[in-house]
Amino acid sequence: MNPAVEATQPAEPQLGTPARLEPNAASGKILVLGLGNDILTDDAIGLEVVREVARRVEGDARVDVRETMEMGLALLDFIVGYETLILVDSIQTGRAAPGHVHDLTQEHLGAQPGRTPHFLGVKDTLLLGARLGLAMPDRVRILAIEVEDPFTLGSEMTSAMRYALPLAVEQVLALVASATARPCFLAQDSRIA
Amino acid sequence: MEQAVKETFNQGNLRANAAYQMGRRRFTVDPITRLEGHGKIDIYLDDKGDVERAYMQVPELRGFEVFSLGRPAEDMPQITSRICGVCPTAHHMAATKCLDDLYKVEPTSPGRKIRELVYNAFMLEDHALHVFVLGGPDFIVGPEAPPAERNIVGVIGKVGIEAGKKVISTRRRVRELIAYFGGKVVHPVLGLPGGVSKALNPADLSKFKELAKDAVEFSEWTLTVLKQIVLGNPDYVKMITSDAFTHKTCYMGMVDENNKVNFYDGKLRVVDCNGKEVCKFAPSQYRDFVAEHVEPWSYMKFTFLKQRGWKGFTEGPDTSIYSVAPLARLNASDGMATPKAQAAYEEFYKILGGKPVHHTLANHLARVIEMIQAAETMEKLLNDPEITNPEVRRVPTNVPKEGIGVVEAPRGTLFHHYQTDERGCITMANMIVATQNNAARIAMSVEKAAKGLIKGGKVTEGLLNKVEMAFRAYDPCLGCATHSLPGHLPLLARIYDSKKQLVQELKQG
Repeated sequence: MNPAVEATQPAEPQLGTPARLEPNAASGKILVLGLGNDILTDDAIGLEVVREVARRVEGDARVDVRETMEMGLALLDFIVGYETLILVDSIQTGRAAPGHVHDLTQEHLGAQPGRTPHFLGVKDTLLLGARLGLAMPDRVRILAIEVEDPFTLGSEMTSAMRYALPLAVEQVLALVASATARPCFLAQDSRIA
Repeated sequence: MEQAVKETFNQGNLRANAAYQMGRRRFTVDPITRLEGHGKIDIYLDDKGDVERAYMQVPELRGFEVFSLGRPAEDMPQITSRICGVCPTAHHMAATKCLDDLYKVEPTSPGRKIRELVYNAFMLEDHALHVFVLGGPDFIVGPEAPPAERNIVGVIGKVGIEAGKKVISTRRRVRELIAYFGGKVVHPVLGLPGGVSKALNPADLSKFKELAKDAVEFSEWTLTVLKQIVLGNPDYVKMITSDAFTHKTCYMGMVDENNKVNFYDGKLRVVDCNGKEVCKFAPSQYRDFVAEHVEPWSYMKFTFLKQRGWKGFTEGPDTSIYSVAPLARLNASDGMATPKAQAAYEEFYKILGGKPVHHTLANHLARVIEMIQAAETMEKLLNDPEITNPEVRRVPTNVPKEGIGVVEAPRGTLFHHYQTDERGCITMANMIVATQNNAARIAMSVEKAAKGLIKGGKVTEGLLNKVEMAFRAYDPCLGCATHSLPGHLPLLARIYDSKKQLVQELKQG
């Protein structure tokens, strides 16, 4: 069995005294959280994915599905108290074709916090929550979908997104299934690399 | 799979992806370029290798005007509040005031007070966020500290966990207040033409009063901390007052009838770099005083004082460039509207050598002074007996035609302007966001930073860092509603020699 994607510990604090981490609320629950903006063309993808996921997991008490258009600190309110977090969001790396689903863990999220001109990134939020002694998810997985145009106002996504939508939904559902099936969280899928 | 097969597959895959990307990517043509999620800085050197010009472009929202066409004007507060993920309430309020003007309806007094209450609460929260999470860490932790520490976690290390907890909990309580009036829905419906949608139940009054009281205390504590850490440190003071971060432009801010700072309503006042009033106008007259200028190297439209004409990116007593945001508001006013904030204001100018203050980084301190006013205003309104009056709306009866609504967003003056047909459907919608008002000054800051750090063709270490710091002091809005990870603005700088050949490329983030 692959060493699982380890429950992420907050980075060793550089300054000051470490916070005493309160034990996580033993909810054992999974949160699927979609981030996006449904009037910014491709930025709606995160929301569209989780809406479909919500339809498919309806009735499953172990999974909560939420969506939000907020950013930064607002995310804290959503994720406190869950043991597993699956985030679905858009990303623009320019290094993959639009529609590609990047499968990321916290370690992948931008090596350098603090470089935020306007909003707190996902990684910083998680770090902050841990630092403040809030019950943060042990296991975090981020599905970031490469987008083509998140800057133009519009309520229709580009075609690359519509193609990516069902694939991303399946990936999320697979992650949910793994997380509910066994306590040890999913191993990273083996890749050709 | 065999190694060789694997490699062939991977290579083929890479080529296919690259070909796909080539096909999709819009080619950039000098000097206008198409941004894709990052800030782009183009620096042109002269023959000696010194900086001749520097231009900065950021991703911006497109298609707003087209998107709004035909929509009911009453949807605009909800639509525009979705454009900005960090200051939705500012857009919501500007749009609501625009609707008041569109229907020529005056909100009821209780309705207006509730709007002011919510708006000041929002200003408080947003400023606190900026101080502790966004711009503040540069100071509180120190600009020379490694980037990994220049964030809220580093701040907490410096000021303690209790501070961090207070920011979070204050924020949560303010959000509850806003949700109380707007509904716990994804798109709160707070502002309506002629008032607001919900009155304040007297039973709920005391918990909000508690919040206001705590907020005043929290803001004052924040100021003490910042003063200690920033003004108590001679290196910071040197940086704040350094020439690289100083510009002598005009300043614009909203003021009440006594020329005191007001975030929600009033006239717009502009002073020049010596503090002399240049003009003061009602929001509805903005077109006579503010004009937009287009440069060939940017999509952004730079605003300037119309009556002075466009004079280029210049400073001094004759410049037509103005800036907005906390420092500008303090400079453009004759004082703060509440006592504790006023005391802080007086001390601020005393420490920094008189009015107006031209140091961009002083925005961080001005911001905290505004926090104090926001909290005191909340307290004042919550102790006003009219705040629980149920008459919170006056239904409009006029036929709509044209409206202009202006507020002071945390980052500066925000204009909304709509025209509709007689059914109230949008035929024209225009917005000037806070950052647009600052765009010219930001361009000057970037150029100044570049000029200071590139000499004889040599790029000093930390160029992008310094540029980013200058840029961040304005806390700019950058098509900011997109969630696209990584959640920050990567910067890409390209340096060209005098023959326009690319000599160096620097990336950050």
